[in-house]
Amino acid sequence: MADDINPGYQYPFDMPSEEAVAFKDGAMEGKPAGVPASYDEGGSTRWSPEAISEVHALAQLGRYQVRGYNSFNKQLPTFDDLTFVPATMTRLPLEGYRENCETKTILGGGSGLVENPLELDIPIYIGSMSFGALSASAKAALGYGASKVGSMTCTGEGGMLEDEREASDTLVYQMTPSRYMLDLDHLRRADGIEIAVGQGAKPGTGGLLLGMKVSKRVADMRSLPEGVDQRSTVRHPDFLGADDMQVKVEELRLATDYKVPIIVKMGATRPRYDVAIAAKAGADIVVVDGAEGGTGASPELLLNHTGIPIMTAIRAAREALDDCGMSGKVSLVAAGGIRSGVDAAKCLALGADAVMIGNAAMMALGCNTPRYAEDYATLGTSPGACHHCHTGLCPVGIATQDAELEKRMDVAAGAERVARYLTAMTMEVSLLAKSCGKSTVHNLEVEDLRALSLEASAFAGVKLAGIDREFSW
Amino acid sequence: MSETVITVGDRHIREVHREIQAAAEQGGHIVLKDARSRHNLGVALPAGANLHFEGSVGYYCGGLNNGATITVERNAGWGVGEAMASGDITVGGYAGMSCGASMLGGVVHVKGDAGPRCGVAMKGGDIIVEGKIGYLSGFMAHAGRIIALGGADDACADSLWGGEVWVAGPIKSLGVDSKAIEPRPDEVASIEELLRSRGINDASRDWKKIVSGEKLWHFESRDANAWLMI
Repeated sequence: MADDINPGYQYPFDMPSEEAVAFKDGAMEGKPAGVPASYDEGGSTRWSPEAISEVHALAQLGRYQVRGYNSFNKQLPTFDDLTFVPATMTRLPLEGYRENCETKTILGGGSGLVENPLELDIPIYIGSMSFGALSASAKAALGYGASKVGSMTCTGEGGMLEDEREASDTLVYQMTPSRYMLDLDHLRRADGIEIAVGQGAKPGTGGLLLGMKVSKRVADMRSLPEGVDQRSTVRHPDFLGADDMQVKVEELRLATDYKVPIIVKMGATRPRYDVAIAAKAGADIVVVDGAEGGTGASPELLLNHTGIPIMTAIRAAREALDDCGMSGKVSLVAAGGIRSGVDAAKCLALGADAVMIGNAAMMALGCNTPRYAEDYATLGTSPGACHHCHTGLCPVGIATQDAELEKRMDVAAGAERVARYLTAMTMEVSLLAKSCGKSTVHNLEVEDLRALSLEASAFAGVKLAGIDREFSW
Repeated sequence: MSETVITVGDRHIREVHREIQAAAEQGGHIVLKDARSRHNLGVALPAGANLHFEGSVGYYCGGLNNGATITVERNAGWGVGEAMASGDITVGGYAGMSCGASMLGGVVHVKGDAGPRCGVAMKGGDIIVEGKIGYLSGFMAHAGRIIALGGADDACADSLWGGEVWVAGPIKSLGVDSKAIEPRPDEVASIEELLRSRGINDASRDWKKIVSGEKLWHFESRDANAWLMI
């Protein structure tokens, strides 16, 4: 099963059976070794059920584990460590139910080079998730839902899906290193072009789509053999560093006649430098995707142990733009594990111009809903705990290419739920903004936040609650 | 046929690009003088356009081509003909890295050598290199043909998904998961016919055809259940 590091080596005894390697002697009914749920919590904090099961799994597989969803790292700081301090005596709040708070968001208009910047009615949009990772029905539902509320979607890696182009009034076309089906006609049908140099879930690695999801239609769109385990390159085929990327940005501008903005999307790693370099390379919009970001499939260790949380990356990214005089010229988008309008408002206050959601939009479609219990059980999971996007056996028809499962993804109902969710998120953002005395959500600022933990204060440079001073180094 | 002359010089590339696009709309032959190895010359051209660059060009010449015919007198920088959907590009001298990267169709014909990663991620069409192709040529190509008359450097045809790399002359080493197979006579005839159509008449060679070993198509564990342990 495993790759042999040293294929010539021979034991002085016969190879054991796969049964024996898999701990099958004396195995407990329904408790396979290598699965956290098979173990009780013991006294050791170091050797948790997860840690023990991981060793048992690796010992059987001889390879790292692959899964979808997002980070299970329990040490990531959360937006819940920040709170808003609304207007009281020093500031005047807006009347929540009478006075307006602007939510219109323009991205990519700062340089003055772009004829048609992205004009959104809300500061939230749905980010790059490929057709392949998601079903065509899910992609269409996201598109219609976003269009209804004046937001937008992004194609993701798998090329431009006609269902999505039709559904989404504003559609960003993602240019990944694999360049599936990318040509001039597709570029010119996009409202923005996103150069992906990385993603928060697994920065420094390329896309991954296991063969179970590489259906005929997906394979045709990617010019791949049907059913292959598609591993994409991480480096772009025709540029390497930032200086080359600057030439590539110019090429895309010429090809689209300076009509649409050029976006650079990156995983959050060293935002203070990476964002400055992306701005220098000519990006109109920089998307910083935190370590909490989701994905259809990834080596699990990368999900859990690479990248930095978005809460810590936004201020560094904003300071980078401030330092090189690019704030106002280059738009900043934050992404990664954003669950609600509250999280989104905190991103805006920390310095983002807009936020991008992924997993949250899938949940609005129906991800992890308590339905089709038997299919969750087949996957060995349950509603709320499902992270099996990589298998293509999504019980609710979202992260699948199986025609029968996809029928469970009702495009109309999904679209309406996405529209309502985005509406509710926007109301949450503007409610907080009004309480802080802002007539536009884009006036939220770091001063509107206080940290509830030393870590949050230190990570995000937010004043500690009460004492009103930043954690000082 | 009418001829339009455009001088590139050190003018802003947008101005040059607009003149090229406008001339392409008019039809006729377009000659570009004083190209100075500038980047992004002749990108996103429509079908029917016919360009000749005097001297050398920089990165992405003929990139995103939609059917134009382009000739370059001397050398081309990185990514000549990248993401071309259709069309015909001839480089009189050498081509830099990533010649024909992720192209979907059409022909790129390099009379000299091509740099590393020639035909990287290509999805269709033909790349003909009369000299040698650099290391990692054909890396993760999906479809199409790379035809090199003067040999190949290290890691030739590395990690192919599909497509074919044809090499006459020495191959320094094959890449991961690629295998050289004996081509059928009809396949050889089709390659030689293509070469003759490009004016390469002494096309008869000792060809090696390299295709995917198909081992990297799949992780070792194919079954969905194998991914369910977590």
